[in-house]
Amino acid sequence: MSHDGHHAVVIPAPGPEFLPHTVAHHFDTPVQEFQSMKLGFWLFLATEILLFGGLFAAYFYYHEWYPETFKIGGQQLDWKLGAINTIVLLVSSWTMAMGVRAAQTSQKQKTLVFCGLTVLGAVIFLVIKFFEYKAKTEHGLFDFTQMFGAYDLATGQVPWFTDIHNVMVDHTGAPLPHGHLFFAIYVTMSGIHGLHVLIGAGLILWIMKGTAKGRFHAGYYLPVDLVGLYWHLVDLIWIFLFPLLYLVP
Amino acid sequence: MSTNVPAVDLHAAPTGERPKNYLNCTTSFMSWAGTLDHKRIGLMYLVGVSIAFLCGGVFALLVRIHLWEPHGMLFSNSGYNQLFTLHGAFMVFLFVIPAIPASLGNMVLPLMLGAKDVALPRLNLLSFYLWVGGAAFATYSIAAGGFDTGWTFYTPYSLYTNKAVVSIGLGIFLLGFSSIFTGLNFIVTTHKLRAPGMTWFRMPLFIWALYATAILQVLATPVLGITVLLVAFERLYHIGIFDPRLGGDPVLFEHFFWFYSHPAVYIMVLPAFGIISEMVSVHSRKPLFGYKLIAFSSLAIAVISFLVWGHHMFTSGQSTYAMFAFSFLTFFVAIPTAIKQFSWVATVWKGSIALNSPMLYTLAFLIIFAIGGLTGIILGALNVDIHLHDTYFVVAHFHYVMMGSIALAFFAGLHHWWPKMFGIMYNETLAKIAAVTIFIGFNATFVPQFIMGSQGMPRRYATYVPEYAPYHQASTIGAIILGSGVALMVFYLLASLFTGKKAMVNQWGGVTLDWHTPTPPPLENFETPPVVTHEVYDYSTLDVETTRTPLR
Amino acid sequence: MFAHLIQDPAAVKNYIENPASGKAVETDYFGQLTSLASTFDHVDNLFYFTYAVCIFFFVLITGVLAWTVVVHRRKTYDQPAASNTTHNTPLEVVWTVVPLIIVMVMFAWGFKGSLDMMTVPADARMYKASAKQWNWTFSYPNSVAQSYGELWLEVDKPAAFLLESTDVLHAFFMPSQRIKRDIVPGRYQTVWCQPTVLGEFHLFCAEYCGDDHSKMYAKVHVVSAEEYAKKPWDVWKDDTPANQIASAQKLYSALCSSCHTVNGTQLVGPSWTGLFVKDASGKIVGGQREVHVGGAAGPKQTITVDDAYIIESIKLPEAKKVVGFEAAAMTAFDLPENKVKGLIAYMMSLADSK
Repeated sequence: MSHDGHHAVVIPAPGPEFLPHTVAHHFDTPVQEFQSMKLGFWLFLATEILLFGGLFAAYFYYHEWYPETFKIGGQQLDWKLGAINTIVLLVSSWTMAMGVRAAQTSQKQKTLVFCGLTVLGAVIFLVIKFFEYKAKTEHGLFDFTQMFGAYDLATGQVPWFTDIHNVMVDHTGAPLPHGHLFFAIYVTMSGIHGLHVLIGAGLILWIMKGTAKGRFHAGYYLPVDLVGLYWHLVDLIWIFLFPLLYLVP
Repeated sequence: MSTNVPAVDLHAAPTGERPKNYLNCTTSFMSWAGTLDHKRIGLMYLVGVSIAFLCGGVFALLVRIHLWEPHGMLFSNSGYNQLFTLHGAFMVFLFVIPAIPASLGNMVLPLMLGAKDVALPRLNLLSFYLWVGGAAFATYSIAAGGFDTGWTFYTPYSLYTNKAVVSIGLGIFLLGFSSIFTGLNFIVTTHKLRAPGMTWFRMPLFIWALYATAILQVLATPVLGITVLLVAFERLYHIGIFDPRLGGDPVLFEHFFWFYSHPAVYIMVLPAFGIISEMVSVHSRKPLFGYKLIAFSSLAIAVISFLVWGHHMFTSGQSTYAMFAFSFLTFFVAIPTAIKQFSWVATVWKGSIALNSPMLYTLAFLIIFAIGGLTGIILGALNVDIHLHDTYFVVAHFHYVMMGSIALAFFAGLHHWWPKMFGIMYNETLAKIAAVTIFIGFNATFVPQFIMGSQGMPRRYATYVPEYAPYHQASTIGAIILGSGVALMVFYLLASLFTGKKAMVNQWGGVTLDWHTPTPPPLENFETPPVVTHEVYDYSTLDVETTRTPLR
Repeated sequence: MFAHLIQDPAAVKNYIENPASGKAVETDYFGQLTSLASTFDHVDNLFYFTYAVCIFFFVLITGVLAWTVVVHRRKTYDQPAASNTTHNTPLEVVWTVVPLIIVMVMFAWGFKGSLDMMTVPADARMYKASAKQWNWTFSYPNSVAQSYGELWLEVDKPAAFLLESTDVLHAFFMPSQRIKRDIVPGRYQTVWCQPTVLGEFHLFCAEYCGDDHSKMYAKVHVVSAEEYAKKPWDVWKDDTPANQIASAQKLYSALCSSCHTVNGTQLVGPSWTGLFVKDASGKIVGGQREVHVGGAAGPKQTITVDDAYIIESIKLPEAKKVVGFEAAAMTAFDLPENKVKGLIAYMMSLADSK
C-alpha cells in the first residue's frame, strides 16, 4: 500500500451487535462512496428497463399485426392468478421498503423479518407462476417436454404449442393466424421476468445474511437500499406486464 | 501547473532501488488476475483486444487474398462466408467497440481526473472477465462449426443456418454487458471522482468523449442484449417473432439490430474523437480550438445517434415518412462531426507541430476521417443510397471510419501513452515508417473499393464477375501493404518492452493530470491528491525541460 | 483448421460470365459511371454534386493541414505555438451554417429523387421476380413462360417488379438502373425502372443469403420494341419436345450446373451421366445408382433410376443420398411439373450422346 497520508475512513458501528464499515480506499468520503454506488445502480436499472423495453416493443408490434390472436390468446390466461401475483408483488415491495427503513434505523431484527417476508412473497409469486404454466400444460395448450423440437415446415406448427382443444380460433371457428405467437411472447416475457424475481430473491437472502452478521446499520445501509431498488424495479415491470398480457385482451 | 502536485525534482541523486509503480509493486499471478487497479485492468484489456485485432486482421487478409481471382482463390463459398463473418464479428465486438474505452480509457481516465481509481473497481474487473468470456464463446463457436451469417446475423437466414449461432450470440451477450458495465463505471467516475477544482469545463476532452460514449453504452447496448437473446430463443424454441414461416417479421429484426448498432458506431468513434482532441493539442502544444463546442458536439452526436438507425435499411421497404426522418437526421448528425473536424484543424493551425509518431497517426486520421465522414454524407441521400447500399462503397465507407479513423486514433493513443504506461520508448524511426506504410496501404486497399462499389460490385460476395477484378486485385495489394505496416508496428512495440530506452519524464509535453504523476504511475496514481486551479490546456505551465530529461 | 473449407482446385465452379457487350456499364477515366442506362438521372447528378463537395472539403482540410505542418513544425524542443487562438466566432458560425445548408440541399434533392423512384407509373409493365436460394425466376405479363436467370425488358418502357422470396432475405439489384430493393420473405415489395439504353446488364442479389449468394445472378437483356414484341423469353417455353429439351438445358445451366455436370466430372453433386443409359436394344432405360435411403446415414441400396426418383430428389434431396456425396447439401427446388418433366427428358437425351 502506498503512503498517501490518508488513513482508511471507517464508519463506526452504532452498537455491539453491528460491524463498522470501512470505506473503499479509492473514495475520499463515505458520502462519495454512497453517491457513486447509488448513481451506478440507477444506471444499471436503466439498462434493465431498456432490456425489457425491447420485449415490450416486440409485444406491441405483433399486437398490431395479429390483434385477434392476441385477444383470444390473452383470454386463455388466468387473470385471477395474475391479479393475486400482482398483489403479492406489491405487498412484497412494501415489506422490502419497510426492511430498508429498518436497516436505516439500525433495527436488525425488523430488517430480517421484513426481508424474509419479501423473499416469501417472491416464492409465492414463483409458485403461482409454476401452477399457471402447469395448468396450461394440463389444459392441452403447452407441452414443455417438446420445447426444443423442430417445427413443421408445412403448417408452421410449433411442437410445444399443442392447443389440443383448439382454443385459438376466431368467432367463425377458423384457426387464428399464428396462434402460438402470443404464447411464445408470453412465455418469454414472463420467463425472463421470473428469472429476475429469482435473482432478486437471491440478492435479498444475501442481504439477510449480511444483516445477521451486523454489517448493515444507520451508518451503512447502502446494499439494502440498492437491493430494495432492484426489487421495486422487478415489481414495476410486472405492473406493466400484467395488464398487457392478462387484462387488455 | 499551479496545482499542489510537487514538480518532479530533476536534481535529486538517483536512488539504488527502482521506484515502485503499478507494474512492479506486486508480481504474483493472482495480483494481476484478481487486480482491482484500473491500470492493470487496462493493460490486460490491451493484450486481449490486440490479439482480437490481429486475428481479425488475419481473417481480413485471407478474405482479400481469396478475392484476388473472380472465382475465388482459396476457399469454398461457404468457407469464405464464414471468414468474412469472423472478420466482422471479431473486429466489431472484440476490438473496435471495447478497445479504446476499455484499454486506453481504463488506463488514462482516472489519471486525467485526478482520481485514485474508477468508482467501481470490482465492476471493472467483472467487465474484463465478461470480455474474456465473450472471446471464449467466440473462439468456441469457430471450433463448433463456425457461423456464416455476417456480423449482422439478419434473420431468417441466421435462424435457418445450421451453424453455431446460439453460442456466438451468447458470446455477444457477455460482450454487451462488458461494454455496459465499463460505460456505467465511467459515468459514475466522471460525476463523483473528479479532483477538487476540476469543473466540467476543465476536464480534458478525452473525458468528455468517454462520457458521451458511456451514455450510449449504457442505453443502447441492452437492446443488442435482448436482440441476441431473442435470436437464440428463436433458434431454440421457435418464438416466431423473426421467422416469417411462423408469422414473424425479418424487418423487425433489422430495426432491433440497428437500434443498437447505429449508436454502436458512435460508441466506436467518439472515444477516437476524444483521443484526437488530446493529440492535436499536445503535439501542437496549443489549447483546443472551440473546447466547449467539441465537448457539446460529443453529447449532441450521442443524442442524435439514437434517431438515425433506419439509414441502414433504406431499401427494406420503409414508409416514406420513416425514410424522410432518417435521412434528414442522418445529415443533421454530420454537423457536430464537421464542427469537430474543423476545430481540430484549427487547433493544429499555427501551433508548434511535432511530427512524431502519435502526430503522424493523428494527421493521417484527419485526412482519412475527412473522406470517411464525407462518404457517409453521400450515403445519407436517399436516392443515391438505393444504388450504393450493400455495395463495396459502403464497405469502403465504414472501413474509412472504423479502420482508417478509429484504429488509427487507437494507434495514436497507444503510441502517445506508451511511455506513460511502461516508462520506456519504442523506436521512433520504425514507428514513423510504420505510420506512413499503414497510411499508404490503407488508402490503396479501400479507394478501389469506393470505385467498384459505385459501379455496382455487391458486398459479401465470394466470387464476382470478372470486370471488377482489377479493383479487387489493387485492393488486395493494398491490404498486404497495410498488413506489413501493422506487423512492423507490433514488432517494434513488443521489442520496446525488452530493449526500449527509458522514456522522458514528460515525453510529449502534456499538461493534463495524467502527465503530473510519476511515469509509470504508482498504484495509487498520485503521491499527493491533486487540486486543479488552472484551465485544462494551459501550456504556459509546461516545464519544457521535462520533455528531454530521461526517467531515472 | 480451414482445410475442409479449401476449394478443390480441380473442381472449378462455373458461373455465368459477363459477356462482352456493346453497351454495358461504361466508366470514364476515373472509373465513374458515365453511360446512364435509366431515367433516374438524379441519382448520378446528386452523386456527382456530393462527390464535388467532398473533394472541395477534402482539398481544403488537407491543404490547410499540409501548409501549417510544414510552416509551423516544431524545430526546437522549446518552440511555443505561433498562435494561441481558441475562438473565432465568425469562422465557427460559417463552418456550422455553410455545411448545414449544403447537407439540407443534398437531403431535399435525395428525398425528391427517392419519391420518383418509389412512385410506380400507371403504365408500367408488371413483372414478377421470384428469389430463392440461389437463383432468380421471372414471370412476364400476359405470358405463361418463365425465364430462369435471365430477364428481358423493352427499352424506354417503364418496368415494375413484384418481388417475392420463398426462403430468406434477398435483394433485387440492377446497378445499371440504379435500383435496389430488399426482398423480404412473407411480404411483397415493388420496385420499378425505365431502361434507356440497349444492351446486356447485370442483376445481382444484394442481400447476403447464404452459400451461393454471389452466384445468384441474372442477365438482363434490354431490347428494342420489335425484339420485345417477339417475346424472346419464349425460349423457355416447353410446348414441343424439342423446346422442352432446349428449355430444360437452359434451366440446367441456370439452376443445376454449378453442382452437377453432364460430362461425368463429379462436382459437389453427382454427374447426370449414367442416370439414363441405353440398353442392348438401344432403348433408353434408367441406370443404376447406389444410394443411402432416408438420408446420408441411411442404409445403402442400389436402385434403378426412374421418373419418381428424379422428382423426389429434386423436391426432397435428402430422401435418397447418392453414396459418395453424403456431405453434399442440395437445396430443394419447388419446380412446376412440366419443368421437371423437361429436365427428365434432358437427362434421357444425355444417354444418346457419347
